[in-house]
Amino acid sequence: MELKYFINISFLLSLLLFMNACNKEEYAIPTLSTNLQNDVIKRSLGPNVVGQQIEFAYAMAMGPKVGKIVSAQVEASIAGATGTFLENRSFYTNTGGADVGVIIGGASVTNGKTTKVTFTADTSAVTLRYYYVVPEEARGKSVSFTFSAISSNGQTASYAMGPYAISKMDMVLGLDLSDNNACYISIADMAVYTEANAAANADKIDLVYLYRTTPANFTHALVSPAADAIYLPGITLPSGVNRSAKVSKVWNLRDWQLDPKHQYSVFVDDLDFQKLDLSGAPNYALNLKAEAGLWVETADSKYRAYIFINSINNGAKSAKIGIKRYAL
Amino acid sequence: MKNYIKIIVIFILVPLVWAGCKKDFPIDEDGLLITDRAQCYVSNFDLIGSDLLSVRTKTPLIDTVAQIINIEVQFGTDLKNLYPQFTLVTDAKLDPKITGKVDFSDLLNPKVYTVVSGNRKVKKPYTVFITVQP
Repeated sequence: MELKYFINISFLLSLLLFMNACNKEEYAIPTLSTNLQNDVIKRSLGPNVVGQQIEFAYAMAMGPKVGKIVSAQVEASIAGATGTFLENRSFYTNTGGADVGVIIGGASVTNGKTTKVTFTADTSAVTLRYYYVVPEEARGKSVSFTFSAISSNGQTASYAMGPYAISKMDMVLGLDLSDNNACYISIADMAVYTEANAAANADKIDLVYLYRTTPANFTHALVSPAADAIYLPGITLPSGVNRSAKVSKVWNLRDWQLDPKHQYSVFVDDLDFQKLDLSGAPNYALNLKAEAGLWVETADSKYRAYIFINSINNGAKSAKIGIKRYAL
Repeated sequence: MKNYIKIIVIFILVPLVWAGCKKDFPIDEDGLLITDRAQCYVSNFDLIGSDLLSVRTKTPLIDTVAQIINIEVQFGTDLKNLYPQFTLVTDAKLDPKITGKVDFSDLLNPKVYTVVSGNRKVKKPYTVFITVQP
């Protein structure tokens, strides 16, 4: 008896579901709003580093019969550094694959935290790029943005983005090292010095670059001035250059910001430096190859850094490096 | 209805009882299977640097009779931070276990690793001798 009830109820429920599934839904073409609308995407990836750009694409549109866009602006919570701007061109890609800019207004004007473009072309839809250069003031803080546009019929649209954390770390790219010439690296200054300059900055020199063909497997090396003399063959250190930085070789850690050409790169961020443990690490690294890296902690424990070797040149006895540095 | 429940319970219990009565495979204290293999040797050895690349200069000499491994590493190798990498015969295991970096800097007191056979009855200590490339 109970089983019979159960079967009947199940059958009725199934029938109900079946009928519902077969119910035809009428499609209605969505009505497009002619009001001023906007949207933003953040184009740049990875840690936001002081001195580097954060890139956005700001799109705004409205019905062409209703009015036109008069102006677009971005307000940052912390004023951007020199070089911050909002594009006054909207780009399209031509048949040749090249991006072609169409000028829609005057060059952007930055006044404090606000960067504004006033339109001169009769435009009802446009996407503008915004490049925010992270200022020193924002280091270790977070920054937010409000994108807004005004149309000729008085409508406004705005879009808030962020907050975005700004890294504490610094970054420098394209430092050239040369054996027996520009070979003294200062993490504190994020710079490379020659022997003459190194003497004047002796208390800041953390590593010496050298290239040797013998012993075998020596090749390109970064060695602390205080390292054993066998790792500094033929080197006479300038007076006072005697610090001992801890270093640890890394392979296959390509930072996208230090070497953007690799598709599968990663990002070295503040957290990596905070978690880094170089206790027990040596004060020299030999046999360095292109695209290798080096974690560094300075002798005074003020800085940790990641040195990426962009390229090496055995014939010229030189190398090109980039550095990310974190102040402890 | 009660009969249905009884049948279902019986169908669930029977496989459980059957599975519970199956003979257990012998495993050791590490949860590894103890097998019948008595072979006990190292077939390959390498030393890996902090950059996870090999630091050896050539194929190491592994003497399975004298139970020694001779390996030459590159000039400037940081001997305090090396990962030893053993390749053992099937089912064998190593004692002590390798859990991270090992300090090989005391060249006068070379490290000893014991290979334990698959049946856990044969144990052979291997001594690792390191020389640095001149």
